[in-house]
Amino acid sequence: MGFVVTTLVFAAIGILASLCARICCNKGPSANLFHLTLVITATVCCWLMWAIVYLAQMNPLIVPILSEGE
Amino acid sequence: MMEMLENLPTMDMMRSEPMQLARIIIPIESAHRTVSYLGDLGLFQFKDLNSDKSPFQRTFATQIKRCGEMARKLRFFKDQMMKAGLLSSTRSAYGSEISLDELEVKLGELESELIEMNANTEKLQRAYNELLEYKLVLQKAGDFFHHAQNSATAQQREFEEHRLVEGSMDSPLLLEQEMTTDITKHVKLGYVSGLVPRDKSMAFERILFRTTRGNVFLKQNVVEEPVIDPVQGEKVEKNVFIIFYSGERAKNKVLKICDAFGANRYPFTDDIGKRYQIITEVSGKISELKTTIEVGTLHWSTVVQAIANQFEQWNNLVKKEKSIYHTLNALSFDVTKKCLVAEGWHPVFATIQIQKALQRATSDSNSQVGSIFEVLHAKESPPTYFHTNKFTSAFQEIVDAYGVAKYQEANPGLYTIVTFPFLFAVMFGDWGHGICLLLATLFLILREKKYSSQKLGDIMEMAFGGRYVIFMMAIFSIYTGFIYNEFFSVPFEIFGRSAYDCRDSSCSDATTIGMIKVRDTYPFGVDPMWHGTRSELPFLNSLKMKMSILLGVAQMNLGIILSYFNAKFFKNDLNIRYQFIPQMIFLNSLFGYLSLLIIVKWCTGSQADLYHVMIYMFLSPTDDLGDNQLFWGQKYFQILLLLAALVAVPWMLIPKPLLLKKQHEERHQGLAYAPLHSLDENIESDFSDKPHGEHEEFEFSEVLVHQLIHTIEFVLGSVSNTASYLRLWALSLAHSELSSVFYEKVLLLAWGFNNVIVLIIGIIVFVFATVGVLLVMETLSAFLHALRLHWVEFQNKFYEGDGYKFIPFSFVSIGEEDDN
Repeated sequence: MGFVVTTLVFAAIGILASLCARICCNKGPSANLFHLTLVITATVCCWLMWAIVYLAQMNPLIVPILSEGE
Repeated sequence: MMEMLENLPTMDMMRSEPMQLARIIIPIESAHRTVSYLGDLGLFQFKDLNSDKSPFQRTFATQIKRCGEMARKLRFFKDQMMKAGLLSSTRSAYGSEISLDELEVKLGELESELIEMNANTEKLQRAYNELLEYKLVLQKAGDFFHHAQNSATAQQREFEEHRLVEGSMDSPLLLEQEMTTDITKHVKLGYVSGLVPRDKSMAFERILFRTTRGNVFLKQNVVEEPVIDPVQGEKVEKNVFIIFYSGERAKNKVLKICDAFGANRYPFTDDIGKRYQIITEVSGKISELKTTIEVGTLHWSTVVQAIANQFEQWNNLVKKEKSIYHTLNALSFDVTKKCLVAEGWHPVFATIQIQKALQRATSDSNSQVGSIFEVLHAKESPPTYFHTNKFTSAFQEIVDAYGVAKYQEANPGLYTIVTFPFLFAVMFGDWGHGICLLLATLFLILREKKYSSQKLGDIMEMAFGGRYVIFMMAIFSIYTGFIYNEFFSVPFEIFGRSAYDCRDSSCSDATTIGMIKVRDTYPFGVDPMWHGTRSELPFLNSLKMKMSILLGVAQMNLGIILSYFNAKFFKNDLNIRYQFIPQMIFLNSLFGYLSLLIIVKWCTGSQADLYHVMIYMFLSPTDDLGDNQLFWGQKYFQILLLLAALVAVPWMLIPKPLLLKKQHEERHQGLAYAPLHSLDENIESDFSDKPHGEHEEFEFSEVLVHQLIHTIEFVLGSVSNTASYLRLWALSLAHSELSSVFYEKVLLLAWGFNNVIVLIIGIIVFVFATVGVLLVMETLSAFLHALRLHWVEFQNKFYEGDGYKFIPFSFVSIGEEDDN
């Protein structure tokens, strides 16, 4: 789907998750900020992982060479 | 932007809750109740104001001794309960409220009753066993008595003949006397009968023979069933014996030997009729004793059962009282001797609750005077307190295991909640294994209520305590499993078609030159075509190593940014200007630049050799890059970064100590004109143990060396820490290789035989190998390495961790700590 599009998808999921966290556990401003931080950190980590693997495969220098007898 | 950051509300676990030191003055009549209510609340940590007194000098030492006595009695009861095979009913609310004095009396009564019962039972049991043995002797010895007596008599006669013939010279007088008697006169033999343990019987016989010079006759017979020995109370294999002897000396020797070997002697009569009479008598006594013993045991078990029903309640009461008195011991008497003074820490948010508890205690104990609560200004550092729930407490414990946060410094635990399971998952990525972990931990989480009240074994305790950590780890593992595209090492084409295809329709050179990329990049994760190819490892290694570096640089940057927030919070400008900024510059000009090169190389598909670029950036920065050029102006950019890194090192090292020295001198000049302390402060400084805040010593050389160590640690550490993140690659590789070996060499091999039995054996081996090696060992291994990455590489960028934990006086924690 392309790099930018999927990045936007990740961002959208992140915003959705923070809204869900705000709706179901609204326990005061300090707790809300805490949940927001956790959600943002998780989203960034997951996106980073995906982005690294995607970028590595965009312009490959090595190609799969099948082994004998496949 | 900065104003927005500054106006944000405080975040929950970011810094310790604000704590304050308070002094409570309690009138004596309400002291016990006050401490009890504060213990229920569990939010006040008492300071020990009598630390210079020994435990015996303290006010409430006698009370504690009383509680100790009661605890001893309760332990005795617990032993009795275990002997009866009873378990105390868990947390029964049975029974009414009972005061400590009443309990003491009751425990004393019960203890003496139980001790008496036990002694009586023992005595009765012993008599019972002796009677049983006596009966055995009577029955068995009767069988062979006459035969033995005849042989003994014959032997004795022979012996005497020999003696007369030899004409012994030891006792001529006696011999003369005996010679006058008729040799054929009927020899008078004495006999002894009893039971001897079988394993000692040979030695028994030998020693008898030796000491009496063969002058006794012993006949033994085995008893088939083991007999309960009266002295030891255990079942022992025994033999019945009869010893025939003649003469006083022999008799004494025999008796002494019997006693030495623990052989119990019982009288035996020759007369058969009398013997039967005695046997019936003894049998009657035996059955009488048996009923008596049974009644006694029944009575004992009813008493123990009654104790068992109330044991838990009594135990808790005694523990509670003991802890209250310990706490009361920590309070000091004030001048008038009518009040107790308590000092302690509590979180600021708990102030109102504490004051309410104090009021309640005053009213409940009908005291005239209320307690006084005042806030003190603390000179020493407060304890650290994080408000955690069952989810976050496990993560906070992981951080605390390394070191408790200094009061109000940034808490790495906040980020650990996400980054720790994430780094674990990077090393564990397999969504099949992730699902197994998830199922296991869901089992623990759904049974939470049941397990939290039970006593679990050590390992289960750890696993249960960390159930939410494992839950997060499992979820992230499923995610990275999808990214690495491994389900028990098998890839799937879930997110679209693979990007690779043969060069031509015949696929003739698929095994030599390989496929080519014909479609768009596989949208999510590693392309499934890679699995099993010859070039899989070079590709994956390159990918995972670069990923490790990128993740590592990101986490280290987060650490340095947290140190900026720390410096800002503690208003330490020096740290910002002369530590944070040069650190950022140094780390990012080297390793941030490397990360940039990695990303540019991936985006452009260039064939540049990054090792070469990085190494020659240092060795010969002015050389032309040639084929390794990734973007325009790279050479000049590299020279700029190198200069920036070189400047950053003395920037970290030199200004801070010099400025600290200047600050210290300024403070000292001003101190000569400090205002007089107010009266209150003087009294306070008498109360507190050690006057804190003696920053009077300032050794410039010490500060400089400290800064030097810090700088060297950072500079060298930046290389070693970045390389340390490569363990993410190493463990991930190990995991996927192990998983693929188990799959191919066990499961597929077993499948290939086309035999059901071999397949079943193969599946069983596969399951055991997967669970044992991958799910247990690899989990522990990845857990450990992720933990190390957090504790060392992440935390040494900003964490000091030299605080102490807030341990409030609470009855909940006391209930847990004594359970062993």
